[in-house]
Amino acid sequence: MWDMKLKRLYYRLKLLTFGRSTDTRLAFSLLEKCWQESGFSSNRDWREQEFLVVDAEMSSLDAQTGELLSLGWVVIREGRIPIGSAVHHLLQSKDGVGESATIHQIRDCELVDGLSAEALIGQFLEAARGRVLVFHHALLDVSFLDKLTRAFYGAPLLMPVLDTLQIEKRSLVRREVPLGQNVLRLASCCARYNLPPSPAHNALTDALATAELFLAQIAHKGKDVRLGDLL
Amino acid sequence: MNEYTNPDSNSSVVATGLSPELSAVKDFLAECIPFDTLSDDQLNQLAPAIEVCYYRQGHIFRSEDDAGGLRIIRSGAAELRVENDRLIDRFGETVSFNLLGLSQEQPGIRATLIEDSLIYYLAEVDYQRLRKQYRDFDRFFHSQRSRRVRRAARHETTPSEMMRRVKDLMSSNVLSVAPVDSIQTTAQLMSEHRISSVLVMQDEQLKGIVTDRDIRSRAVALGLDVAEPIERIMTVSPDTIFDDETLFDATLFMTQKGYHHIPVVSAHGEDSRAPKSVVGIVTSSDLMLARRDDPVYLVQHVNRQQTVKGLKDITALLPDLLAQWVNAGIKSTQVGHVLTAISDAVTIRLIAMAEQELGPAPAPFCWLGFGSQGREEQLLGGDQDNALLISDDVKDSDLAWFEKMAHRVCDGLNECGYVYCPGEVMATTKEWRQPLQGWKQTVDRWTRSPTSDAVMRVSIFFDVRAVHGDASLAKQLQAHMLKRTKGNSIFLAALAENVLDAPPPLGIFRRFVVDHNGEHRDELNLKKRAVIPIVDLVRIHSLAHGIQAVNTVRRLHALADAKVMSIGDSRNLQDALQVIMQTRVEAQVQQLMNAEKPTNYLNPDELPKLVRKQLRDAFSVVKDAQQSIRLNYRPGL
Repeated sequence: MWDMKLKRLYYRLKLLTFGRSTDTRLAFSLLEKCWQESGFSSNRDWREQEFLVVDAEMSSLDAQTGELLSLGWVVIREGRIPIGSAVHHLLQSKDGVGESATIHQIRDCELVDGLSAEALIGQFLEAARGRVLVFHHALLDVSFLDKLTRAFYGAPLLMPVLDTLQIEKRSLVRREVPLGQNVLRLASCCARYNLPPSPAHNALTDALATAELFLAQIAHKGKDVRLGDLL
Repeated sequence: MNEYTNPDSNSSVVATGLSPELSAVKDFLAECIPFDTLSDDQLNQLAPAIEVCYYRQGHIFRSEDDAGGLRIIRSGAAELRVENDRLIDRFGETVSFNLLGLSQEQPGIRATLIEDSLIYYLAEVDYQRLRKQYRDFDRFFHSQRSRRVRRAARHETTPSEMMRRVKDLMSSNVLSVAPVDSIQTTAQLMSEHRISSVLVMQDEQLKGIVTDRDIRSRAVALGLDVAEPIERIMTVSPDTIFDDETLFDATLFMTQKGYHHIPVVSAHGEDSRAPKSVVGIVTSSDLMLARRDDPVYLVQHVNRQQTVKGLKDITALLPDLLAQWVNAGIKSTQVGHVLTAISDAVTIRLIAMAEQELGPAPAPFCWLGFGSQGREEQLLGGDQDNALLISDDVKDSDLAWFEKMAHRVCDGLNECGYVYCPGEVMATTKEWRQPLQGWKQTVDRWTRSPTSDAVMRVSIFFDVRAVHGDASLAKQLQAHMLKRTKGNSIFLAALAENVLDAPPPLGIFRRFVVDHNGEHRDELNLKKRAVIPIVDLVRIHSLAHGIQAVNTVRRLHALADAKVMSIGDSRNLQDALQVIMQTRVEAQVQQLMNAEKPTNYLNPDELPKLVRKQLRDAFSVVKDAQQSIRLNYRPGL
């Protein structure tokens, strides 16, 4: 997390000193506010920390060529997931959905009703304030989110992130379970913890499944789990 | 608008209800009793109030430090226990529990997770609001609580005929006269309607009551003018009874006070100062009539019959009576006892009639009942399984007497609806009609070389009860049997094999396994697939440990007392049997009401969701118990 703080400092200096326009500087201040409120203290009891568990659907696995299609998230507060915190947003599309429509069941016509990319990232940052982000396979989702924050705020996301896939991987490696194909997929992980299978495949159900997996992983770590234990 | 607590006040999206992408949460709730009574809209409103939590196996929720709220098992399983670690319920996904409510009836109750579980939690305020808002929802938790409590206190309650309500027995067509009407008018009205009492009412208020006896002793005997107003001879402000009081209360009241007629008033309207409205009248003969279907009276009635025809007329009433008993809330186990008591009485009566014709028995004997009659678990439509055990003192020349007697009794039973046994397990078959010594040799043969046929016979034979005659003969034979089987691992293994042949109908996907051919295609034979497996596996445990009881519930008690089975396992099987038998007897009643012949088949699709769920749980219990048989006895093979 020191790494993250240094990068934040770098972008602060860069934008405030060499900021291209007042617009960008103003926008950046939104991201900066989010940074200020989102610390990560390894010693904190996990129950005292709020989390935003996020899943994104995209048109390709490559952030350079692909596009974000939808974003879903739920909150974890005091060790519980309030279903009422669930949010799902579709993004207006520039290009067509392409072949990934068969996976996500999102058709072009539905995307018309979605939010603009700028509004979406704004809503997302609002929800992320004061919370630690959780993803299953964070690298992929964060690369897409980075692209959006760079475009609108001039800096990558640079928020504290936990990854249920990495937590699972470490736990399996520790127990010397061979990492076969598919064992780290979300559905496989959930099944290992006696969690219900999730039927439909959309950003929100996957975010909820990830949140459930996250709670299960923590429960299996024992009592008094601290944030540092989850890195 | 969302009326539930908003757990995420930061977000403006919450108030619109459930995001359509999360319909899976709603779909799950719609699977849960009693949420299934709520509409889609109501569920969409409710779902955002739910919080998801995860706990590991072994986590305990204690009522002492619980903030209330409803917990629904999304995945996993839990059990409820009360003091002394007594298990009162065990359940899995879709089942919900409210510890706060349960603890009011069962202080110290706690829920332990027996698997890692994902739980949907609804805060106490939201849960209470739901109960207030939706009657069906509320009713479920009311009845669920009392059901659990009843199960916990199962051995203390005995619902019976005497618990029927006065309002079901009274005549609600009440005749009344005014206080100023003459004695003669009143007497004429009573004659006209052939009634023995009449109420005296003024402005819809009860002023008095007049009976036949009042007219006789207070008017005619004293030479009173019949034109006098009725108020002169009425009983002023008579005692009344509430319509929700029981037959027992009414009978007690009448005998204590010496009344024969009591006006019935409505129990509703709790203001005691308000005039109570008269809704009917109940007489001592109403009470007598109500007890016509009392099994005790029925058995006495059987004993008075002189002909097979007379007995047949009584047994013909049984289907209607069964329906009445079940509707009056008599439990299946009690129904089984009562129906067995009646078939016993019919058998005994038939033996007595045979003795009248053939002369007294030339030697002591014992009439044995097998199968469901032996276990006192008879319902309707079963065939007869019986045998005759004769004292070793019998002379060979006298054996013919017993053969004649057996034929008379078995024919009579067949007439009365207890049809002949297709497997010939009847006293008319030579093998099933022997002196004690012969019986012992037969048992020895069966247990020595347990062919599947022998195993089948033995399993019939072990549920034996002395119906009539010299019970000590039956005791000697049973003792011999238990001696031969207790610790006989080869025989027990063969018997276990037989038990495992019939797994309960719990399919791989937890779907019912139903019969795939014949008249009852796609229907479930509850007797064959559910009752018999329990009976079989309880029997094998009993035999292995020399337990003498024959009735399945009594066997389960004895097994727990002997510490062969844990109290929890014993109770679970009793509950399972109770649920299955109750479903079976209620299905029979339904068939009777539809003017169909009672069978042991039922269509799982026609069962209410709750019953299906209970059955499924019951089958799981049976399956577990079969596993334990596999472990315990099969190694003998």
